[in-house]
Amino acid sequence: MSKIIEIQIDSKVVKAAEGSNLLQVARDNGFDIPGLCYHKKLTPTGACRLCVVKIDNTPGLIMSCTVPVKEGMKITAFDEELEQNRRHTLSYLLAEHNEEFDDSYEDEIRPLIKRYNLEKPENRPLKPIWQGIPRVVDNTSPVLTYDSSKCIRCFRCIKACDEIQGKGVLSFADRGISKYIVAGFGEWFNSECDGCGECIQLCPTGAIVEKPFRESLKISEIDSKVITTCPYCGVGCQTEIFVKNDTIVRVDGVDDVSPNDGRLCVKGRFGYQYANSKKRLTHPMIKRNGVFEKVSWDEALDFVSSKFSEIKQKYGSKSLAGYSSAKCSNEENYIFQKFIRIAFGNNNVDYCTRLCHASTVTAMLKSFGDGAGSNSIEDFETTDCLLVTGNNIIDTHPITATYVKRGKAAGQKIIVIDPKWTPLVKYADVWLQPKLATDVALLNGLINIIIENGWIDKNFIENRVEGGMQAFESLKELASKYTPEKTEEITGVSKEKLYEAAKIYATAKTAMIATGMGMSQQTVGTNNVFSLINMCLITGQIGKELCGLNPPRGQNNVQGATDVGASPVNYPGYIPVTNEDNRKKVAEIWKVPFESLDPKPGLTTIEIMNAAYDGEIKAMYIMGENPVVTDPDRHHTVEAIKKLDFLVVQDIFETETTEFADVILPAASLYEKDGTVVNSDRRVLRLRKAISAPGEARQDWQICVDIAERMGFKIGSYNSPEDIFAELAKAAPIFGGITFARIEKHGIQWPCYDENHPGTSTLFLEKFNTESGKAKIFPVDYKEQSETPNTNYPLVMNSGRLLYQYHSATMSRKSKVLNAYANEAYIIINPEDAVKLGLKDGDKVKVTSPRGSLETTAKVSDEVLKGETFMPWHFNEAPVNALTRNEIDPMSKIGPFKYSVVRVERV
Amino acid sequence: MQKELNKEQIISILQKYSPTKDNILKCLHELQDAHPQNYISKVILEETAKHFKLTKGQIFGIVSYYSMFSLKPRGRYLVRLCKSPVCNMLGAKSVTEYFDSKFNLKPGETTTDGMFTLELAECLGRCGKGPSMMINREVVTELDSKKIDEIINTKK
Repeated sequence: MSKIIEIQIDSKVVKAAEGSNLLQVARDNGFDIPGLCYHKKLTPTGACRLCVVKIDNTPGLIMSCTVPVKEGMKITAFDEELEQNRRHTLSYLLAEHNEEFDDSYEDEIRPLIKRYNLEKPENRPLKPIWQGIPRVVDNTSPVLTYDSSKCIRCFRCIKACDEIQGKGVLSFADRGISKYIVAGFGEWFNSECDGCGECIQLCPTGAIVEKPFRESLKISEIDSKVITTCPYCGVGCQTEIFVKNDTIVRVDGVDDVSPNDGRLCVKGRFGYQYANSKKRLTHPMIKRNGVFEKVSWDEALDFVSSKFSEIKQKYGSKSLAGYSSAKCSNEENYIFQKFIRIAFGNNNVDYCTRLCHASTVTAMLKSFGDGAGSNSIEDFETTDCLLVTGNNIIDTHPITATYVKRGKAAGQKIIVIDPKWTPLVKYADVWLQPKLATDVALLNGLINIIIENGWIDKNFIENRVEGGMQAFESLKELASKYTPEKTEEITGVSKEKLYEAAKIYATAKTAMIATGMGMSQQTVGTNNVFSLINMCLITGQIGKELCGLNPPRGQNNVQGATDVGASPVNYPGYIPVTNEDNRKKVAEIWKVPFESLDPKPGLTTIEIMNAAYDGEIKAMYIMGENPVVTDPDRHHTVEAIKKLDFLVVQDIFETETTEFADVILPAASLYEKDGTVVNSDRRVLRLRKAISAPGEARQDWQICVDIAERMGFKIGSYNSPEDIFAELAKAAPIFGGITFARIEKHGIQWPCYDENHPGTSTLFLEKFNTESGKAKIFPVDYKEQSETPNTNYPLVMNSGRLLYQYHSATMSRKSKVLNAYANEAYIIINPEDAVKLGLKDGDKVKVTSPRGSLETTAKVSDEVLKGETFMPWHFNEAPVNALTRNEIDPMSKIGPFKYSVVRVERV
Repeated sequence: MQKELNKEQIISILQKYSPTKDNILKCLHELQDAHPQNYISKVILEETAKHFKLTKGQIFGIVSYYSMFSLKPRGRYLVRLCKSPVCNMLGAKSVTEYFDSKFNLKPGETTTDGMFTLELAECLGRCGKGPSMMINREVVTELDSKKIDEIINTKK
């Protein structure tokens, strides 16, 4: 904390932190000094010269935005000379400024024109000359328009792009009076701009404006503005939704609130179109004679409940299962798992986390006792070293990545481990590019180098690791096999690079790890994460501030869904199903007989599909998931679903899965819900209803409660999601101290045990959450994959995500803006392989694996190693999961989305 | 005659410079001079941005700021004729007219053979010996039609 000092502004004594910005201090204390180039999130510029003040004993007029406050400063903020000067400066800006205004944006210059009585041209000391200045209009971007005639060259957009988003796409072109903002070589669309819109949000004059709704929107006539959590990835950005006629017309970031402090990415700002799409499901439908017919809710609920009851009676409770959803709120996931455990009478509830970070969570639970990220998103900026492995963080968690890029600008060391080039490589100090699925060998190799060079933290191992140095010795012995030479041979990464990475990580004062799908979505996913944890533990890079292991979560509520118990093995708050005391406690809260709660863990996602395939699961209830696209081995998934006697899908759109449903139930989207979600740094954040659900679509939790009731089970009577959360807080101690009132403005990070607990920004500071309070080392060996390239299938396919699409693209592909950036599937092939196969960039190709085949377009690039390929998996017309296998990681049951042998041929 | 500076040639020039900011202008000058059309082409912009780890907009900003860089093709030789008052008094106007009548070249234009571009420059500091001009980096003073013919012939 900096020292608090006193200064005087217009004779008023004001307290401020020493060194803070004078203009900001003045404004915070009610002195409305004008200014257009200053923004509290940016470094001061001093371009507009409107914020001039007088400082005692300093000659001349000083731009207050450039002055750090010092003890005893005496400031004049307002007198006649200053106001005259400001008026003249503003007139000068106006002479070069086109005042045409289309009402679609909030303008900061117009109120000043009024304030300084410059509305009438005859009142202005300087006459307009803007018509004579070359005008540059760039209309090429899908999201914005730039008009130089409205630009006052204030630097805000350039700094927004550079300092806030870390992209540096914008610059000034030309010089003097004809200076203008440029992206790329003059065309926004062909620049590196990814459409995040930070520049739009910070432009004070309407020179950069949003394209969507520009023609029809009058910003002064907005019906409502609602603050809620972004429905896309697991960063949990706080957004302000502008609503007109029950339609979302704009989304802005909310300043001063974690985790995003006003920042958004292109999906968060422009991906809202799906909510008001005409394709939304609006009525319940029952399939009769192969055709879906609209029915009333009464009929649908009666039909669903009687079919579930009938199947339960005929085949027993184990014949039913449900998929919960990472795209639904905590309250809805809580109700869904409660529904499964009470109405279905088993624990067959899982969701897409099984396909995502199940292995990470499994390993972390075993080693640390907690499966969630140990740090806060802000820590990605301030830690000294960040190791990012199997995580394309710039594309998949764009706002977390802004912290990383800002950290880099301040001197952070970045290590990237990824078989494929990702944009983060541009910022990396070292990039290790191992062959696919050799991560355990790579990490053991790094561990070996760390041990050999004495970079271990003996004190940490002795005090915080179970078995102390003895446990360490067993790891040392195993790692000794992975000499730099051996590791290079397996992974293809040079000894020198291994040494450099090991040294940076192990010797950094503080180091954090971000691990992603590249690590987790393998048949050895859990082992991959054990190896990471081992490296973390022997170097002591966990258990203190700015150190730890973090799995950034892919969907808005993938963290929360597991936290609240949408899991076949855990009750709410990560308490095992098998824990009898907890079941007793929960039975009491739920007001059901303890004996009715099944003590046996249920089936996981892929196990449920396999059981359906084998005829053991007869009916499924799927809420907000699309397994036909998302589960591995699509052919197998479709066969399994077809074998079901009864399938209910509750969703916001028709999907590739609803096609096979017997009943489709229309649900509300995240913009239409109240409730909470949990983001990647365990922050419980509010969802607030911004628009109404279309037609007869209903809240997911209400549908579950109604079906249960008609099956003869009362799973609770709630008036609102707040009631549900209150019950959840009783069942899950980690949420014990959180209420809606406490998270009205700022979220709280769990664990938060009671109402006085502030929440937990860093996990494991005192102890780990295991029984002994110490972390565990699990030495693991490298194993080769069960399928390897051969003459029939000579290449290996990796898969992953793009910034502009999301998951199975049900939501994101409804957005014209997002589609304008990326709407086509492709397969990346290394140039050497392309030559061998006679392929050129843009050729149509057939990709075949032992499971199936698809057609797509070849993209020749050295982003992948020779022998490897990469496909984005969002596009149903080139369904990557037609190629993947349903072999699973034995410990976490995750599928190997990152490794399938394939053959690529020209069509 | 070669019309473009190809990617390999650009990269071999770039590799002479370590990618630090202080090298950018020097490097751009060498690239422009090496280009047969005496300008910063799109490929130069792209490769220079990559080399110095800049975005496209940042490199474009630098190049468009300095009047010594051109984003449009120019002649192999750049003739910069001084337009200051002193040179004017000493007959710069007739020199401009001579370029027009003899070579069909007006300020801002390039000869059809792509050899010469004529530009007008601010004072070249050779007022005592005006009218003056620069042809690429060489300064030529006390201009008259004979001297112009001589120098143009040596460049052709």
